[in-house]
Amino acid sequence: MNKFKTLIKKDWIISKKTLLMPFWITAGFYLLIILGIVIAYYKGDIQSNLFDFPVDSPINAISYIANLSVVGLPGLMSIIFIIMLMQGALNEDIRRNCELFHRSQPVSIWLRTGSKFYVGLLGNWIVLFLIALFTFIVVNIILATIHQFDFTTAISGMLQAFSAFVKTGLIIGSLTFFCSAIFKDKAFLKGLSILVAVHLLFLIFNNLFGWNLPLPLSYLMKLMIIDTEKNILVGIDEFEALNLIKNAWNSILFNWKTLYQVLFSGALFAGATLIYKNKEIK
Amino acid sequence: MELIEVRNLTKRYGSLKALDKVDLKIPEGRIIGLLGKNGAGKSTLMRCILGFLKFDGEIDIMGERVNHHKESIHNLIAFIPDVSSLDDRLTVQQTIDYVASLNESWNAVTAGRLLSRSDLPLNQKVGNLSKGMKTKLYLLITLSIDVKILLLDEPTLGLDIVFRKEFFNTILGEYFDETKTIIISTHQVEEVEQILQDIIFIDEGKIILQEDIAELKNQYSLISVQSNRKEELEKLNPMLITHTLGKVNAIVGSDVQIEGAEYSRPSLSDLFVAKVGGSNE
Repeated sequence: MNKFKTLIKKDWIISKKTLLMPFWITAGFYLLIILGIVIAYYKGDIQSNLFDFPVDSPINAISYIANLSVVGLPGLMSIIFIIMLMQGALNEDIRRNCELFHRSQPVSIWLRTGSKFYVGLLGNWIVLFLIALFTFIVVNIILATIHQFDFTTAISGMLQAFSAFVKTGLIIGSLTFFCSAIFKDKAFLKGLSILVAVHLLFLIFNNLFGWNLPLPLSYLMKLMIIDTEKNILVGIDEFEALNLIKNAWNSILFNWKTLYQVLFSGALFAGATLIYKNKEIK
Repeated sequence: MELIEVRNLTKRYGSLKALDKVDLKIPEGRIIGLLGKNGAGKSTLMRCILGFLKFDGEIDIMGERVNHHKESIHNLIAFIPDVSSLDDRLTVQQTIDYVASLNESWNAVTAGRLLSRSDLPLNQKVGNLSKGMKTKLYLLITLSIDVKILLLDEPTLGLDIVFRKEFFNTILGEYFDETKTIIISTHQVEEVEQILQDIIFIDEGKIILQEDIAELKNQYSLISVQSNRKEELEKLNPMLITHTLGKVNAIVGSDVQIEGAEYSRPSLSDLFVAKVGGSNE
């Protein structure tokens, strides 16, 4: 356990810059907004009815949708940074010529890859959660000032969006991690190119010969998307909103697909480690 | 006691045979030089011993069979490749802490002593250190681990003479005792000649010679005569003839006598060139 802690500390040190980048981007984003508001205020351009909602709007639904939506941008950013970190996970040391130094330490390969996997995913998720939490506070202060805030549905919205991005990050991150064990650089792009090529090839075969070969990209998309039962943006009443929010937990987290996603990710991790373990270090 | 036993070791890179049926026994408590031309198979041999490369044949390290990379091997062997293989992204302190935490046999007293003697900037990134400083750091983290075998693969490549001398002095002073073994692969054989006890010549993936250096040198003499007596030397069928200012030198059997010649012990590099051929390294 102590060795794992040491590896995590080392991987945190070398990934720190990339991991913290979303904080700086978010801070820049908020600074720009504040700057815009200040300029607009001095120019007298602020619209006082910007956040006005109709009086009969369902507070639950508004709180929910608002908090669900605002995690979108940090969530996408998190996916991008997961890809950036994971695509160098198992090849960066080789490229930097320090693989021999790390491999010459008496520590299991599984612990080494585990630490890189853990820092790449969990590190990004923690950053995403903190940004989402900050955004949650900001958005709900605004909503509360215009009396459109309900804590339970608001936090559900934020947490559900966060969970959805965590799961997407898990699949994309694991896939990129796997590619980093195979390719020396630009692992994600190369892996994706191969998947696209295989997808197109299978598609052609299926159309030409009437076969039913599984299409890798369709499979991955199916694995990543959330199966929502109803489009929540369609006009709904208070009761429907609460029901949908409750059901959304089942669609996002508490289902067999989640277990399947975790197993898929675990298989990619194990495969990547075995490939990496068997790589010759010249 | 043999610390390392290599039997019938063959390593191929595609059609190229980097190691060809190598048999080797590395005893305890020796300082061994591994000498070969570029591409002779020195680094490949060391990487096979550490399990970093796949190979055919058998390697036992202190009775433990190595057929792939096992992390437990690093409790027995420390390895210093080219010093630029340290992780540039860590600071000196972080590198020391990292190695100390991962190695159960880390000796904090030795580390403290080596650190106090060095002028290593603890908060500086390894990437910003000079090659000499990196060498000191590599020595510190390697010699502070209590292992039985030390493998050095061209460790002083690119270092100036002061650092090279300091490197080998530190290793002798801080690491070596009669229970430990050091294997040094180097091009600068003249610098380590004085500290080596055994020598292994490797050429085209084959072990040409493995011998105690004192015994090897006793078998041969370096005879020097005036240039006009070259024909006399050639008649002796020498292993090697070289020219110096106004003189001709030849490596011959130690029992060969010529009137008026100067006798000395041949250097390792002379013997290497004599045995292997090619340019004097």
